[in-house]
Amino acid sequence: MGKNLMTRRQFMHRAGALAILPVLSTHNATPVIRPPGAGPDFPALCIRCGKCMEACPYDSIRLLDLTAGALVHTPYIAPLQTPCYLCQQRGDDGKDRPLGKYLRCGEACPTGALRRIVNDKQVLANVPEDFKTAPAELNRDLCLAWQYDSCGECYYNCPLKDKAMLDRPPDYHVAGTGIRPHVNPKHCIGCGMCNFVCPVRKHIAESVMKREVKLTLFEERYAGMVRNVIGRAGDGVKLPAVRLRSL
Amino acid sequence: MTDHQAEVKFKIKPYRRIIQLLVLAVLLLIPFSSQNPTDWAPSRIIQGQIPAPATFNIFGDTWCFEINSFCLANPLSVLDTWLSAKVIYIPLLVAVLIPLCLTILLGRIFCSWLCPVGFLLELNMKVQQVLSRLGIGRNYPLKDYRYFILSCCLVFAFIFAVPVLSVVDPPHTLGRELMNIFTHHKISFIGTALLLSIVVMDSIVSSRACCSKLCPSGGGLALLGKYRILRINMIKEKCIECGNCDDSCPYELAPMGLVSDGNFNWTKCDNCGLCRDSCPAGAIEYTYILPMKN
Repeated sequence: MGKNLMTRRQFMHRAGALAILPVLSTHNATPVIRPPGAGPDFPALCIRCGKCMEACPYDSIRLLDLTAGALVHTPYIAPLQTPCYLCQQRGDDGKDRPLGKYLRCGEACPTGALRRIVNDKQVLANVPEDFKTAPAELNRDLCLAWQYDSCGECYYNCPLKDKAMLDRPPDYHVAGTGIRPHVNPKHCIGCGMCNFVCPVRKHIAESVMKREVKLTLFEERYAGMVRNVIGRAGDGVKLPAVRLRSL
Repeated sequence: MTDHQAEVKFKIKPYRRIIQLLVLAVLLLIPFSSQNPTDWAPSRIIQGQIPAPATFNIFGDTWCFEINSFCLANPLSVLDTWLSAKVIYIPLLVAVLIPLCLTILLGRIFCSWLCPVGFLLELNMKVQQVLSRLGIGRNYPLKDYRYFILSCCLVFAFIFAVPVLSVVDPPHTLGRELMNIFTHHKISFIGTALLLSIVVMDSIVSSRACCSKLCPSGGGLALLGKYRILRINMIKEKCIECGNCDDSCPYELAPMGLVSDGNFNWTKCDNCGLCRDSCPAGAIEYTYILPMKN
């Protein structure tokens, strides 16, 4: 009898330990931007070695924290803080030079969770749908270029300029205008650069009324217009004007 | 008596220390060299203000290490991804080959020669001595949960398709924290808590409590090296029964018991060689034993 009780207690201990498992949920509540080359099987393949974070030349790749449940320590990109530069270095002449033959995170990945993508603009613009992060989309009501004909940062900074980001929609035939940014979701890999450079952000709008918010010269140029578009759009609108779809 | 003193033995411990220090230095140097030297984020790439980023081809830590696309990986990582993704990625299999062969032939020498957490715990032995003098004993009996935790992780990986062994692997946790500190100047709560609890448990519960009773990857490596050929052996005739080897063993395995009976826990021995170094009579030596004889 005593022996039986002991085993039952042991069994209860182990059952209690197993009860923790559902708490470590595998389902992540908030969608995350994975590095480029992550397929649908990414969570199953990633062994959290952290090599992609070390390989990233611009330190764009971060690791998820405890709130991600069982997906803790898997890599993600926060484009509003550091976008993916697609392993390009832009020189003073304005031309991009590739850093290495492949995108470095995919090259470093030991399990193939991040696929190797050749660092060539033609290839990067035609990545299959499954391995893109999330295409960008543009809200024309918030866009300074569409509203005031005065911006175009996303177009100039896009690593896949004239492929993923066009200076005007294909069916737009108004002569004499400036940049009218238009995202082509077929070619957009979802690096988040447009997200990063878009000046339509809350702190820039607030800086008009608050003296303590320090802005760069670049941001100061747009501050008044940003305040106007955000004020017109109301509170519930998602910022900035160009954002990755899953953010 | 004369042959005891005349015998100047070749000691293993200094070489082991050199390797351990080297591993720790590499773990510190890799993230330090790969970090971006300047805070470039507010600049605009159109203005050409980005400095040339560091592009060294050495990444990783003890879980998975790569130098110029020559990759070495922990044997358990391939088991983990295989169970969760149900496919085997060939480059990972190639990377695992050398560590797997070494583990099968020589036992879990990873724990004694390469593991940075094991190194820190060996240094922690001095702290333990001070604590035991203060009366904080280390005799809390803890059962061997290594295989239970390992199987829990693997079952979780199989059912939920998420490999979780790397989250609880202590040396990889240390390596990942170092990466995080240098790259993003932050530490993760779960990793820091794990490392701190390992050190505290090592000081209070028992010597190398984590390594011999909780560490799932240590348990997995012990299972892989169960039928290893490199083992310590005791020559009965030379033993003077001084008990130095029993005192020096960090896992409290009592190697002197090898003489009296055969109840030696081979899965806990990691071939560190401390008992061999401490023997004044040279009675303990490494031997190659074929698994058939056991």
